[in-house]
Amino acid sequence: MEDNPKLDELYHLLKLDVVGSTNEEAARLGREGAPAGTLVWAKSQTGGKGRRGRDWVSPGGNLYASLLLRPNILLAQAPEISFVAAVAVFNTLCFILPQTARIHMKWPNDIIVEGHKIAGILLESSAQGEMLDWLVVGIGINIASSPDKTPFPATSLHESGAPHAKTADVLGRFADSFKRVMETWTNEGFAPIRKRWLEFAWCLGEEIEVKTEQETLRGVFCDIDPSGALILDLGGGDKRIITAANVIRGFPT
Amino acid sequence: MAKFDIDGGLIRKLSKLLEETDLTEIEFESEGQRIRVARNSGGYRESYIPVAETGKQAGTAEEQAEKTASAKSDHPGAITSPMVGTAYVASEPESPPFVKVGDKIREGQTLIIVEAMKTMNPVLALRDGTVKEILVENGDPVEFGEALMIIE
Repeated sequence: MEDNPKLDELYHLLKLDVVGSTNEEAARLGREGAPAGTLVWAKSQTGGKGRRGRDWVSPGGNLYASLLLRPNILLAQAPEISFVAAVAVFNTLCFILPQTARIHMKWPNDIIVEGHKIAGILLESSAQGEMLDWLVVGIGINIASSPDKTPFPATSLHESGAPHAKTADVLGRFADSFKRVMETWTNEGFAPIRKRWLEFAWCLGEEIEVKTEQETLRGVFCDIDPSGALILDLGGGDKRIITAANVIRGFPT
Repeated sequence: MAKFDIDGGLIRKLSKLLEETDLTEIEFESEGQRIRVARNSGGYRESYIPVAETGKQAGTAEEQAEKTASAKSDHPGAITSPMVGTAYVASEPESPPFVKVGDKIREGQTLIIVEAMKTMNPVLALRDGTVKEILVENGDPVEFGEALMIIE
């Protein structure tokens, strides 16, 4: 079919018209023993999810896909793949969008175009003891449309200079890019991924506002630590290492 | 990969030994099982140190709390965190908690979620039991090996 992506043979595509959530479907397949490389792609979702139960509005025309992986690693390393996915989506969008577009990664793995969110990533892991059993990497990329009234302003590829982008092509590009970034990570570890991420980090060195489950903090985004955690300088010598939060605003100088 | 029950107590002992001796790696073999505990010299441990030192609350209360926490993680019924991250006692901020003190739980049931960098890891019950104590508040930062819950 012409609207199927061209995929490397390590991927096993499962294409659905509509699904509750591609992440839930991929996790279910993971529990059933589906092979690494299983790629669930849905035209639309009825219950798309962001972090901490937030909805991911999922009409037709945008990309919703979840990839099942089974790398032989410690569970504690799994969060590194969050950045692998971010860099892969970032590289994909750099290829598709005009060269003049300013594209960044917002901690840990949102993709931002001209200050607007265009893509989100959410991972779910399952462990056997301290070893990872499987990992689902879920990605959502706004292609034809973006939601209104989101806490962080949103955009889509069609609104950002790629008016002819199609879901199948974007998925194919992403799959290629993810394979390459994953190879770098496997061969060279997290350092080159972290370096690339930092090179295109949104508001690095600037003041940001982050919302954790317990509080909202404002400070300078100094760095990410060797594991990828956000280091926020609140001033007066008070630095926080944050492993989970939403970066809700930036105050670029 | 061979499957065997991970001896959390042993790993913690080896980790402590690593710290005391300032080594970066220890390998221990016994009865056909081999456990290697390594710490990354550029890992989180190091990056945490300056924070603790400059933190305002670094004092005896915190040290005391840390001692209590490490005693709890040696408890035979302790459910410990499999990674550094943020613990959630419910699937969504407004949802009821996965479990409450006194709840009977079944093997495989989700007890807590630990998130790190948008990677969600459900911590499951390894066997049937009863929730005796919940040691974390929703959204608390947790360390690797930290006791989250006591199950009996």
